[in-house]
Amino acid sequence: MAPQARIGLIVTAIGFFAGIWLFLAPFIVEYQKVGQDWIDATRNDLWTGGALIAISVLTLILFGAFALRDAASAAEQRSPTEDGEN
Amino acid sequence: MTKYVIGATGALLGALAGVWLMLAPFALAYQGSGADWADPTYVDFWTGLPLLVVSLVGSILYVSGLVEELRRRGIMRRPYAAPAEQPQGSPQTNASSQENNMEQVLMPLVTAMLKDMQERDRERDGARQQSPDDVQQPQNSGEEGSVRR
Repeated sequence: MAPQARIGLIVTAIGFFAGIWLFLAPFIVEYQKVGQDWIDATRNDLWTGGALIAISVLTLILFGAFALRDAASAAEQRSPTEDGEN
Repeated sequence: MTKYVIGATGALLGALAGVWLMLAPFALAYQGSGADWADPTYVDFWTGLPLLVVSLVGSILYVSGLVEELRRRGIMRRPYAAPAEQPQGSPQTNASSQENNMEQVLMPLVTAMLKDMQERDRERDGARQQSPDDVQQPQNSGEEGSVRR
């Protein structure tokens, strides 16, 4: 895998953890009391955090799937040439 | 190649989420303009800014990976490196190309020499087969020459 792709994956993972942080922040920082109606800031943080988590997870899954597909096709291309050489 | 497009799209969406987080306190008016920042504003702004920076870096990296992949497949050309490298080449390739040039120059000369030698051999063989007596002539002539002396 190219070094850019590795660092890009790390960046995507950071986005995932930022989403989790946003999801939990209203309750950790305590600007949202448990049991009370949600304020605007809490709603915004939950929706944005949830969207970030979804985007990051989808990116990671799809990136991994297409990387595996590329690796499989590269291995298939390599194996006939190796058989030909032997 | 598709993986880089997906990664860049994801990183770009992350950057947009970062921008939204920075603007949301003011857009949704839970932060009054001119007032001291409340806790939600601090959280959103200082989460949004690093997210924006990191996501932009990520999208740049994914795009550079995509460009490298396109160049590797020959879909996109390298801007400067390839044309400069080709004429110079490595010293080994230069040496081998010079040898090839020498071979090309010498090849007609060598073939002409070989032809000439073959023709001479054929003429010699033909002369031997036609008159075997002529072969002895030089001996006789040599003897005559010695007699004359």
